[in-house]
Amino acid sequence: MVSKPSRRRLVATGLALVAGTAALTALPAFIDPYSLRIVTGVLMWAGLACAWNIVGGYAGYISFGHSAFFGIGAYVTGILMQSGVGMPFLATLPLGILVAVGVAAAIGGPTMRLRGAYFAIATWAFAEMLMQLATVLDITGGTGGLSLPAYLNEFFFYYTMLVVALAVYLGAWYLLERTRFGYRLKALRDHEPAAEAVGIHTTRVKVQAFALSAGITSLFGSIYAYWVTFIDPRSVMGPEITDQMVVMVLLGGLGTVWGPALGATVLWVTNRYIWSEFGDTAIYLPILGLIIALIVLFLPNGLISLLPGGRRGHGVLTRLLRKL
Amino acid sequence: MDVLLQALLNGILIGGILICLTVGFQLTFGVLHVIDFAVGGWVMLGGYAAYWASRLLGLDPFISVFFIFVVFAGIGCALGPLIYHVRTSRYARPDLMALAFTFGLFIMMRGGALWLWSFDSRSVDSVLSGASLSVGPVTIPLLRLSAFGMALLLGLGLFVLLYRTRFGMAVRAVAQNRDHAGLMGVDVKRVSAYVYGIYTGITASAGVLLATIYSVNPEVGVRYTLFAFFVAVLAGLGSVGGVLVAGLILGLVESLVGTYVGTRYSLLVVFATLYLVLLISPKGILRRGI
Repeated sequence: MVSKPSRRRLVATGLALVAGTAALTALPAFIDPYSLRIVTGVLMWAGLACAWNIVGGYAGYISFGHSAFFGIGAYVTGILMQSGVGMPFLATLPLGILVAVGVAAAIGGPTMRLRGAYFAIATWAFAEMLMQLATVLDITGGTGGLSLPAYLNEFFFYYTMLVVALAVYLGAWYLLERTRFGYRLKALRDHEPAAEAVGIHTTRVKVQAFALSAGITSLFGSIYAYWVTFIDPRSVMGPEITDQMVVMVLLGGLGTVWGPALGATVLWVTNRYIWSEFGDTAIYLPILGLIIALIVLFLPNGLISLLPGGRRGHGVLTRLLRKL
Repeated sequence: MDVLLQALLNGILIGGILICLTVGFQLTFGVLHVIDFAVGGWVMLGGYAAYWASRLLGLDPFISVFFIFVVFAGIGCALGPLIYHVRTSRYARPDLMALAFTFGLFIMMRGGALWLWSFDSRSVDSVLSGASLSVGPVTIPLLRLSAFGMALLLGLGLFVLLYRTRFGMAVRAVAQNRDHAGLMGVDVKRVSAYVYGIYTGITASAGVLLATIYSVNPEVGVRYTLFAFFVAVLAGLGSVGGVLVAGLILGLVESLVGTYVGTRYSLLVVFATLYLVLLISPKGILRRGI
């Protein structure tokens, strides 16, 4: 059964959400365009991390191939907005989602039979395959990339990202924590044969989760393509995209609703800070790697477990303090 | 016909090095049950070590490869206990945490190399570079032949170690059953650390050989991780013997696709094959995987 959280907690969360939304809506009036771009980036990465978390954190399948879906969204929008086709931006979004969900549903069945490391390798191979495909095809512009019509309105992208990210988080919270779907997903993560034994159609649930995650990732890919106005196989399908999604979720807290948002905020702000401080982001990658290794060694439940009220917050914090 | 012969020969020569690249990886999976994402990182770092050894000390890669083996084996032995710790920890999913850990190591290596040495490709010169042997219609570059020989030597050494020494017996015992081996008096933690050291040493040596044939830049790691995965999956994860066949297959596939279809398609074909093999026969084509 779906248990009800305490009324007080629900009210507190609701109030925090309303206040947060109001603050984010008003934010562009108070900050300069450069900071606005950073916040837009935070919103995008928070949404992407949330999408990855559905498969990685809730279903327990570590995917190293999510850049494929990001790229699918970016390329669908990019190709359909070329002057020959000339579709309006908003019309390309559902098409991108449709293609990504279709691909995810098609490959999800056979791929998700593989467990653990095999699944990770398979998704990785799939993503690299798509990137190579985008490199050799003509319609994607090959290595030369694609240019999209420029729409230089930072406010538009900020609010688009805000609306989509908020919808993604609310939807994810509702689906994963308040419905039977979420419980089925967690059950199969914790013990797949047992979940099957109590009558959960595990394959269907897994593929649904994978397709949902792919659809969200593709949506952000579409918006990103229009936002940066130029895409090539490396920038929208490269392994760095998946790397960041994985690290943000691990940093924030695997299998928690708000952990990915926290991880994304910390990491993306760090990234931009390094960029503005050193002029390039070369040192960002080794830091990213170091963070993963340290998190795995010392903080497997992520930053969110340090916050008061986190499920294991008290335990981890006291343990860390004792270590120091 | 001559083109075909030449392509086959190149495939076999490269296949030998790919075998050397993957045996250690397979051994690690068999003993530690860890898929090491960082395998390509070790290859890349081995290549850079050879580059700096030849640049700063003037050592030929075929001589420095022995020192590089020792140095990287030492690094691996130091790192081994950490990986063992993560793999045997009480986390909810230690296998995935170990995977994430090596993934982090790999990003660190790739990022570190990018940061320190930038994107430039560096080639490592040997006295053998450029020399070649003509046998009938085909030419055999001496460099590739010697690298092939060196790879075989390393692989052979590993097999002797595994099947002809007491230490090798302990390694095989741990691979069969960690708990039972521990009960029989094998120091599982130490064996795991040594195995990781042997693996890093042999993989870095393969990296030296590959750097002399091609060249090395920070991005080659991704490619070689993929190659190691490909060979390992084809052989069946954890099967050391299957690598002999699978390595040659990958060498031949790459060489034939490169010759007849075009080099820009070779990676596409390799990735597609890897994905399909995983779907159709995840235990490897010889069905010997764990």
